[in-house]
Amino acid sequence: MSTENVILEISHLEKNFGSHVVLKDINFQVHTGDVVSIIGASGSGKSTMLRCINLLETPTGGSILYHGEDITNPRVDAPAYRAKVGMVFQNFNLFNNMTVLENCMAGQIKVAKKSKAEAKEKALQFLQKVGMSAYINAKPRQLSGGQKQRVAIARALAMEPEVLLFDEPTSALDPQMVGEVLEVMTALAKEGLTMIVVTHEMAFARDISSHVIFMADGLIKEEGSPKQIFGEPKEAETKEFLSRFRNV
Amino acid sequence: MISNMNFWERILYILQKYGTSYLKGAGTTLLIALVSTFIGCIIGFLVGIVQTIPVDKKKDSPVKRILLAVVNAVLRVYIEVFRGTPMIVQAVFIYYGMSQVFNVQLSMWQSAFLVVSINTGAYMAESVRGGIISVDPGQMEGAKAIGMTHVQAMMNVILPQAFRNILPQIGNNLIINIKDTSVLSVISIVDLFFVHKSVSGALYTYFESATIVMVIYLTMTLITSKLLRLWENKMDGDENYELVDVMDIGTQLGKKKARV
Ligand SMILES: Nc1ncnc2c1ncn2[C@@H]1O[C@H](COP(=O)(O)OP(=O)(O)OP(=O)(O)O)[C@@H](O)[C@H]1O
Ligand SMILES: [Mg+2]
Repeated sequence: MSTENVILEISHLEKNFGSHVVLKDINFQVHTGDVVSIIGASGSGKSTMLRCINLLETPTGGSILYHGEDITNPRVDAPAYRAKVGMVFQNFNLFNNMTVLENCMAGQIKVAKKSKAEAKEKALQFLQKVGMSAYINAKPRQLSGGQKQRVAIARALAMEPEVLLFDEPTSALDPQMVGEVLEVMTALAKEGLTMIVVTHEMAFARDISSHVIFMADGLIKEEGSPKQIFGEPKEAETKEFLSRFRNV
Repeated sequence: MISNMNFWERILYILQKYGTSYLKGAGTTLLIALVSTFIGCIIGFLVGIVQTIPVDKKKDSPVKRILLAVVNAVLRVYIEVFRGTPMIVQAVFIYYGMSQVFNVQLSMWQSAFLVVSINTGAYMAESVRGGIISVDPGQMEGAKAIGMTHVQAMMNVILPQAFRNILPQIGNNLIINIKDTSVLSVISIVDLFFVHKSVSGALYTYFESATIVMVIYLTMTLITSKLLRLWENKMDGDENYELVDVMDIGTQLGKKKARV
């Protein structure tokens, strides 16, 4: 990995909720085209870290450099930054008052100030990509979980972000729907989209990502290529964690 | 001669003589209720929105935080005072109070609209706050994640859902206002109830006039309920949606009906 195409550089990131220290000292970099998988036990701070990167949580220490600019600075225009670093949630968070198409157009029109026609074209293009273009007139409540998540991905893509963050995008789905979402994510990874994915899908982390980060107790305990982490983990904690997923 | 008539004859007699007065009174009642509910909703939304502005201890300046705390305290007082006192007393208080304390002579009409609007506003503020809070927090995060500001997220995502959530309460307030404008007769507003008092005072036909007025009030509230229910259904939209043929995406033609 070279240093010139670093998009995100996270240094000494800390986060506590009152006296509860959740992130202790997080350091890593994300380069253009990286697909970073973040794995670790429940409660290890994976979501909190992702939410800090998206500024949905305010870090209590350290820095997050986005193209060299520290976005933890209170003067940074957080909404403008978020338009570039999108996020896909476990619970989809589609806008319930809008149709599928409107969901994918709202950000383009309100935030990116595109024309309606332009926004619609782009929305259709990405909905087609995730295989949801037939459902443009549906409301979120009329869709299955897998369909909702694919729309949520299209909504995020329609903003043409530089990095897309995924927080356990398949954890709220019935097993038979996990595949359709992972398929979309795999295609995006192959196309070179920069992604940070918190996941419990070890097969995805192993086969698709370029870099794997194992977190425990608010720290990065081990990181490396999927081959390293899954093939020859060094830390006892990593081994112990991975042994729970023997069947992947 | 009216003393020789039976019940129905009296009703007929009253209607022939004062029918237009009743209708005018009903019109006044409806006008005050509709306009004041509308203004009350606007007040309620403004107050509710201000009350749900998030404060970030780290990012917001102390000036903003203190200002917001003061404004919120004032709004709390407003809500508690107007929810905690009878509207009939508020009407007298404002009509006479404005002239004696502030030397502002409000007309009866101004007082009427003012009292009912700010009274409704106090109730609506609580409903709106509840309506906003009851929208899943994930909706706000979803909006923020695509770069919306707090204001954009409120306008496009949260408030439309909050509005749908509280539409039944808005309807409730409208119906309450149709009935409760009757208290405005204390400041001599010639609403439906005022007409009733005048007519029955002149003819000594309390029961007959009350029957007429009951029927008129009930008609107004029933129609209002029905219309509001239709509006709610319209907002909820169709239970079905059109499945669009992928081939026709460009033209948006060739839709077929999908059942869910
Ligand atoms: N808003 C909050 N207030 C207080 N504590 C919080 C908050 N959000 C998260 N935490 C705590 O932070 C710790 C880490 O939570 P986080 O959600 O980041 O874990 P995670 O690794 O994503 O777990 P999972 O795999 O279950 O999603 C937990 O102990 C949690 O209770
Ligand atoms: Mg999590």
